[in-house]
Amino acid sequence: MPAKGSEPMGKGAGAGSGRRVVDRLPPWLGALSAGCWLIVVLGLLGGGVALWGRGGSESEIGLWVFSPMHQRMYEPIIEDWNAAEEEDGDDPSDRARVSQSLLGRPALRQRMLSGFFGGLPTADLIEVERTIAGQLFAGPLDAVGFVDLTDRIREEGLLEAMPPAAFSPWTSRGRIFGLPHDVHPVMLGVRMDLIEDAGLSIEGVETWEDFAAALRPLMADEDGDGEPDRYLLGLWPGTLDRDKIEMLLLQGGTGLFAADGSPVIASDANARVLAQMVSWCVGPNRFAADVPDFQPAGNQLKVDGYAIAFFMPDWMCNYWKNELQMMSGTLELMPLPALEPGGRRTSVWGGTMLGIPKTATDVEAAWAFAKRLYLSPELARAWYTEGDIITPIRTHWDDPVFDTPDPYFRGQAKGRLYVQHASQVPTRHASPFTPTAIQRVADAATGLLRYAQDNDIYEVSSLEPEAKRRLEIAQTSVERLMDANLFLGEAEAASELAP
Amino acid sequence: MSARPGERAAAWLLIGPFVIVTAVFVLYPLYRSIVLAFSQTFGPGASAPAGWMNFRLTLTDPDFWTALKNTGLFTLGSLCIQLPLALLLAMVLNRPGLKGRSVYRLIIFMPQLVGLVFAAMIGSVLFAKRVGAVNQVLHAVIGIDLDFPWLDVHVTPTLIIIALWLYVGFNMVYFLAALQTVDRSLVEAALVDGANPAQRFLNVIVPSIRPVLTFVVLLSFIGSMQLFELPYVMLEGPGNENRGLTVVMYLYQRAFEQGDLGSASAVGWLLGLALIVAASVQMVLARREAA
Repeated sequence: MPAKGSEPMGKGAGAGSGRRVVDRLPPWLGALSAGCWLIVVLGLLGGGVALWGRGGSESEIGLWVFSPMHQRMYEPIIEDWNAAEEEDGDDPSDRARVSQSLLGRPALRQRMLSGFFGGLPTADLIEVERTIAGQLFAGPLDAVGFVDLTDRIREEGLLEAMPPAAFSPWTSRGRIFGLPHDVHPVMLGVRMDLIEDAGLSIEGVETWEDFAAALRPLMADEDGDGEPDRYLLGLWPGTLDRDKIEMLLLQGGTGLFAADGSPVIASDANARVLAQMVSWCVGPNRFAADVPDFQPAGNQLKVDGYAIAFFMPDWMCNYWKNELQMMSGTLELMPLPALEPGGRRTSVWGGTMLGIPKTATDVEAAWAFAKRLYLSPELARAWYTEGDIITPIRTHWDDPVFDTPDPYFRGQAKGRLYVQHASQVPTRHASPFTPTAIQRVADAATGLLRYAQDNDIYEVSSLEPEAKRRLEIAQTSVERLMDANLFLGEAEAASELAP
Repeated sequence: MSARPGERAAAWLLIGPFVIVTAVFVLYPLYRSIVLAFSQTFGPGASAPAGWMNFRLTLTDPDFWTALKNTGLFTLGSLCIQLPLALLLAMVLNRPGLKGRSVYRLIIFMPQLVGLVFAAMIGSVLFAKRVGAVNQVLHAVIGIDLDFPWLDVHVTPTLIIIALWLYVGFNMVYFLAALQTVDRSLVEAALVDGANPAQRFLNVIVPSIRPVLTFVVLLSFIGSMQLFELPYVMLEGPGNENRGLTVVMYLYQRAFEQGDLGSASAVGWLLGLALIVAASVQMVLARREAA
């Protein structure tokens, strides 16, 4: 007996028997046409794939970088690594091949934070820029998205291999979450062509005061409009120059945060630096002007010779070479003039680390590749030759590549100059509140500039009390935010950890 | 009469996507944002109840009030300058016998096509100190200081000028469409009755275009209150002394720069409530006037 519903169709089965099949289908299926059902099925399948699919192979180490230059330099090292892995690995599933992805800085930031905050997969290794890093440390230590590398770094002897300042931006509550990419000492790039044309010299310049005194003749008003034709320094107390303001506070002040994370924004030393800086930008002794970096308007002013000196961390040399090629042979580097006699002749600006997210599929393989990448002498050389960035690893500083004359900087052995200052780079302590603090200090600087103009007060000593008052307002504002953070400090113990 | 089972299924199938999308992307996020507004979080793993702290912190934060003031001034500038100008342009273009109307309309509307981010980038170059075209031209014509600080100090007027350039054509198109529906016979009757141009405008044209006027005012108000990209790109942040800080930028800073989604949710709810109240008041006033 044939099973129910499996009647042979036999001869004559055609349209009529087809209708019978349709009749046997549940009535709701007829609510949509076949085309509509196809769309529904495809939609469901696509949704399923999107929800359950994973990007990339699990046996691959994914690396996210934000700089096309980094991507270019890492390519040969990754190729070598992958070739070696293929030779070594008998079982393809054991291979820890590396695949690199270049993401725009905002995209990398958003994807990384979304991954950390949303518990979604990210890459196995991520390069993080300093301005973003603090935010990663705003929660309890257990909730930081990166693997704690402190013990690994200590075991490898890396703490001694690099200046302590290289680790500080990536350290929170005594734990290190990233391998430093750089140390970024700052020097001063000066338009030596203009200085020589004017018959002037920077020999013997030690402080900013000496610097202004030596080069003030360059500020003559030759076109008779009542204004100097050029200024000596590109610096302005405002938001766009907030990184330079922080850099100066690090050079001669106390920076923004102490090692324990408490704010030291309103220190006397910082107030003095802020007052000095404003006295450079307004009043009879003014020698600085607004020449914004990374903007077409600022670049035009640089080409025009509107200012003759610029803050140059090592990476900035590469920016000038790429964006201001016509300035080749006009600049020379000199140590930063000190804020006080005997003071520090360098500072620090910028920074990048390589971290391993906790969601990495193979932390050991990621760590092995991170060491291969960041500690390699070949890459240290490439960073300098292609990116003008000096490595933080002291043993690589003997490399003769750093003694190569650089024609852009009138044949100076630029690398050696940066290396000589790398050990004196000041320490920046990481805080989730660094971006806010920098913004508040920039506001204090702008306010102090306006105060000086409104009250005709231009002497450093006279500006200091007001500088201190404005920095105290900035610090109070930051402390207010810190007090409201339930995860940091004493409140951390009381915070509830979700399961 | 009850629906057949097949029809009921089809009805569910048809409204299903809407229900699912609304539930997933509207209702659940709304619910989560209420929960977030009363807690402090750091990713999915760490959460702490915060009570009313986020609201208290926001309402006692001077930056929030600065943002509100900046946004309010920009909104006021937009409504009081942009909309009358748009209406004026629409009336000029609506004059009978005007040749090349569509060309003028296109030219005035065109800035809208470039978008906010591009306008902001152009603005940062045009209004730059010393080398910016605006200062160069004003220096040559009226002797203004080449270092006039548009982007340092006079941020709100600069934003209003750029927004004016960007949106006046957009609003003009609405007004032009409305003006073209005004009954000519009413205007002619008023003319016969001896009404002067101002009387014709206030007593005939404005009542005729009132629904569109209300709509455009509401749209401009909400759009202005949501100002974000223009100052954020042009100033690379809130600008000096937060002169370019807007409420939405304040929310963004809280959420994505300080990583505090709870506090950002509280700001979002405050902004949402303020918009609902303001829009309701405006609608009530408009209805009362119409009645």
